[in-house]
Amino acid sequence: MRAADAAYAIGPAAPRESYLNAARIIEVARRSGATAIHPGYGFLSENADFAQAVAEAGLVFVGPPAAVQRLLGEKTAARRLARVAEVPVAEGTEPLTDVAAARVAAANIGYPVLLKPAGGGGGKGMRMVRKEDELETAWRAATGEATTAFGQPALYIERAIWNARHIEMQILADNTGNVVWLGERDCSVQRRHQKLIEETPGPSVGDGLRQELGAAAVRIARAAKYENAGTVEFLVGGDRHFYFLEVNTRLQVEHPITEMVTGLDLVALQLRIAGGEPLPFAQADVVRSGAAIECRITAEDPRAGFLPASGVIALVREPAGPGVRVDSALYAGMTVPTEYDPLLAKVIAYGRDRIEAIARMRRALEEMRVSGVPTSLAFHRSALFHQDFVTGRYDTGFIEHWDARIAPELSAGATSAAALAAVLATRARGERHTLPPADAPWARAAREDALR
Amino acid sequence: MRYEVTLDDRRVRVELGDHGRFTVDDRAVAASVRETVRGRQWSITLAGESHEITVVTHDPLRLDVDGNDVRATVIDERALRANRGAAGTRTGRIELRAPMPGLLKAVHVKEGDHVVADAPLATLEAMKMENELLAPSAGRIAKVRATAGAKVEAGAVLIVIASE
Repeated sequence: MRAADAAYAIGPAAPRESYLNAARIIEVARRSGATAIHPGYGFLSENADFAQAVAEAGLVFVGPPAAVQRLLGEKTAARRLARVAEVPVAEGTEPLTDVAAARVAAANIGYPVLLKPAGGGGGKGMRMVRKEDELETAWRAATGEATTAFGQPALYIERAIWNARHIEMQILADNTGNVVWLGERDCSVQRRHQKLIEETPGPSVGDGLRQELGAAAVRIARAAKYENAGTVEFLVGGDRHFYFLEVNTRLQVEHPITEMVTGLDLVALQLRIAGGEPLPFAQADVVRSGAAIECRITAEDPRAGFLPASGVIALVREPAGPGVRVDSALYAGMTVPTEYDPLLAKVIAYGRDRIEAIARMRRALEEMRVSGVPTSLAFHRSALFHQDFVTGRYDTGFIEHWDARIAPELSAGATSAAALAAVLATRARGERHTLPPADAPWARAAREDALR
Repeated sequence: MRYEVTLDDRRVRVELGDHGRFTVDDRAVAASVRETVRGRQWSITLAGESHEITVVTHDPLRLDVDGNDVRATVIDERALRANRGAAGTRTGRIELRAPMPGLLKAVHVKEGDHVVADAPLATLEAMKMENELLAPSAGRIAKVRATAGAKVEAGAVLIVIASE
């Protein structure tokens, strides 16, 4: 709300009563005089019913039309489309409705397999099943999560690909049939299929593979009659063979790294396309230079199995400097709620090459401070020094192999200072008097910003 | 006042004297201490080296020490003396607590059930994810304190296991 020109309440914190309440959002749009709605990258960005409701209300939905979202949102239909577009897919099934059918299908494909929601992607509700006796528990959890996230319990099974890298291709398509690809992002550093670090260019992606992935993404986009910004996700095996995963019919959380290396403003281009303008450039005009990395700082404790945490932010210091960008909504006094993703801030570093981007990211992470909740910072700081990351030889197993138990090496001076501060912090807590806030914390933070 | 501090697996004795003087492991330390954010952050200069310590969370105490994540505990001498007598009693009862606030989607066990370590006991939905809560150790389910469909707070005792 701090960055907004105008703000309208749409409902209480529970997603069903606010972000998922399409009628209310459309009503607010009308009242405010808005002519278009950008769904962000959250709950509504891949909701075809919402896109349709927006269009039927005479407003512009900034994103692909409802029909395209429906086609690509049903993940097994998207796989069929990819096959027609001559893009390889991993062995898998159609939607399954019960665990007995899943048991038969999994035995045919061979363990390990992935259970995936048919109704939507993004890693939510996805479960890896290593052996048959894990199937029932995994099925129960995945089908429940699929119902919560997408309103549909159906799952399908896909063969798990080992030592794979998660590589995705950014595309843009206008309403007149022009489609371009902007470059790949390696999103292999994931936990529970949620991304924690993304980078471009992918350290393992050569020019040949890049061209192939770009061409495959464009073929899928054309087959789906795609419009606006989108991402085609692939798994790339150790043998460089690639498999289509899914299309994310929205702007993605990690889009800034593509903006950094192409110099393009993807949100501005989304608005232009939604306004009916043709793409202002052709494929040959897309120039990528340098390297960019994004770290998603989340309210999760990497030393406790990345358990999500909630609490009140007491202090924030965001990094800055050349080549460093921070997309965040953090402020002191903010409550980290349990209703939403634990994402707190995105730290993006750009360099003329990967080495410079890594150096800047290390420095940025060292500079950043968040007090109030445990964050993923400890993981990110160590990952940027991890040999597998530095050499670019990592895959989707990176976090599984990362050792959370490693205690940091403190110098003698740091140890003394930390011990003293620990005592002072404990004493301060005993005698703390907090003044009641005079007004909403976000309003106070906005005023402090204005005074800088 | 004397304190015993642990920083991850390291143990440090700290004594706070008058006029901001203090000792670490019985050695006097000259330091300039500045509280940069009240109760939350200190800038401490020791022997020409500057350190910044930020409290990440108070309970349990978690510190950011120059960009390093450190788990800390502080016990003062009175608590230390009181603790020595009481420590070491084992109850044989293990509590499964909610690691975060959320919605308890399902409880997979009932009282009297025998479970092995890592058996799924309950499903907690929080932050748009379903988390399987696993048995911390083998035993018999002595008590089920929560029901499916209930909202639970962080730290709430959900299930009690009696170890066998």
